[in-house]
Amino acid sequence: MRSLRNLAILAGKQALRHRTRSVLTALGVAVGLFLFSTIETLQAALREATEASEEDNTLVVYRENRFCPSTSRLPQSYLDGIRAIPGVADAIPVQIAVNHCGASLDVIAFRGVPGDDLRRYNPDLTVVSGSYEAWRERPDAALVGAHFAARRGLEPGDFFAAVGLRVFVAGIVTSPHPQDENVAYVHLPFLQESTTLGVGTVTQFNVRVDDPEELDAVAARIDGRFGDGSAPTVTRPEKAFFAQTARDMVEMIAFTRWLGLGAVVGVIGLLANALLLAARSRRRECALLQTIGFPRRAVALLVLGEGLYLGMAGGALGILGSFAFLAWRRFTFGNEGLTLAFQPDPSVALAGMGVAMVLALVASLWPALEAARGSLVRSLRDG
Amino acid sequence: MNPPPPFLRCRGLTKTYQKGPNRVTPLQSLDLEVAPGEFLALMGPSGSGKTTLLHCIAGIDHPSSGELWVGDSNLAALDRAQLTRWRARYCGYVFQLYHLVPILSAFENVELPLLLTKGLRRTERRERVRAALARVGLADRAHHRPAELSGGQEQRVALARAIVTDPELLVADEPTGDLDREAARQVLDLLHELARDNGKTVIMVTHDPRAAAEADRCLHLEKGRLLEANIPAEVAR
Repeated sequence: MRSLRNLAILAGKQALRHRTRSVLTALGVAVGLFLFSTIETLQAALREATEASEEDNTLVVYRENRFCPSTSRLPQSYLDGIRAIPGVADAIPVQIAVNHCGASLDVIAFRGVPGDDLRRYNPDLTVVSGSYEAWRERPDAALVGAHFAARRGLEPGDFFAAVGLRVFVAGIVTSPHPQDENVAYVHLPFLQESTTLGVGTVTQFNVRVDDPEELDAVAARIDGRFGDGSAPTVTRPEKAFFAQTARDMVEMIAFTRWLGLGAVVGVIGLLANALLLAARSRRRECALLQTIGFPRRAVALLVLGEGLYLGMAGGALGILGSFAFLAWRRFTFGNEGLTLAFQPDPSVALAGMGVAMVLALVASLWPALEAARGSLVRSLRDG
Repeated sequence: MNPPPPFLRCRGLTKTYQKGPNRVTPLQSLDLEVAPGEFLALMGPSGSGKTTLLHCIAGIDHPSSGELWVGDSNLAALDRAQLTRWRARYCGYVFQLYHLVPILSAFENVELPLLLTKGLRRTERRERVRAALARVGLADRAHHRPAELSGGQEQRVALARAIVTDPELLVADEPTGDLDREAARQVLDLLHELARDNGKTVIMVTHDPRAAAEADRCLHLEKGRLLEANIPAEVAR
């Protein structure tokens, strides 16, 4: 154990004291891990938004064959009928207005909801600054998701204009549901009157069911109830709705996984090349270590250790850089009015460090073998 | 009274290897005995097999045939891993070009052979490094890196690294070949003291008759065979 610690210290000295090479190598690793971490953050946000879980109990009722909020129009009068369907715990009409229906990195989405119903329907919303009462009191007030507010630099008391609306920021809200962090909640009548839809028409209904296992059955009942009307509905679980409606975005983000894979392969190549060159330039040094009693596996461990340090340093730098970048730019990817915020995620950081360590070990294997094998006599003579 | 048994004994030591299309035999049926605590110099022209013999004696290279006993170990019968362990315990090696690790200080270079010694505490290890550096007169240069030392100082650091494990055998491959006269003098004095005062068996390859004259005995290696060499008195002086 003590020998292993001494080897780890020696490997650390090798990495630290070959400063220029180490810094350049770690920077190369950092660039790869920056890309990997950013892409994994995208993937994590996508998983969060689309992967069904046993706790999911929310349905979205949308106009059949419509995909953009500006074209999905349902009579608000459906609300009482939906609430009366067996298995429905609660329902809320939602009017959505977005600045851009296609794919965009800067989506502004307003959700118009009845002022009396928001807190009851969405108890997970927490007002972190401003107040809920201030929102209730003003018809043009908005409760702005924290991610959205940070992206736009908004604080309670500010006014801001978008999508043809001018709203007063009454409060900043956070929520465990990422979608809530990226939107501004406004009063439903205010939004209806301010857009071309007019009073009495909404984009969708969000429906909470009594039993998560009944999601599909309740959805079928809703569509069965309104299927023959002039505005037929299609009802899906919230995450399936996201996956279906924003499928272009999902496909694009799924494609980025290949970029992440490319970054990983690039890191392996860079690190392996740097370590191989180092091992070759230090062939005589490795032979010397064996001459004075280092077993071959100790020499190999030294190279592996050095690779691990460089991988971890570069990995940490890349992941921190990625998180700082995402926190600074606060990108919100949106499509068809649905948003996906790229927020730093600790699980991505852990996974990234794990990947960096595995990559470092894989990249160091061949250089470690090169350093440890070969003729001592030839290495001492030729270097 | 019987003489002490030899510390090192070669019988029919032969080394051959392939070099391109040719089969080279630098050592051929070589016999050699070295007494414990003896300072032996090996001389000979380039290509005579001096360094090959030294490598075999130090357990760096394997003889092709014959016996090679150092102390109680038959080096010819040990595999690479066993030879590594043997070197760590019993043999110190001094190179002509010092072979210090450039990014490590003198202290850290001398510490290297002790890093993997089992059961050795850090305080004891550091004490042994300090003692080895003091032994070669470089206690005050412990934290200098090789680039900050003169050639003679570098070679003395290499010598400290060779003796820090307290080996019974010291082998030195032209240890003064790259040094000026004064630095060479210091290194040779140290080797002499280690043999005389500490009972180390020292085997040194050299081209320099003056350096060879410091040894208790000098052998001449030519075409893979050993001959007793006489150093003229004026050279020795």
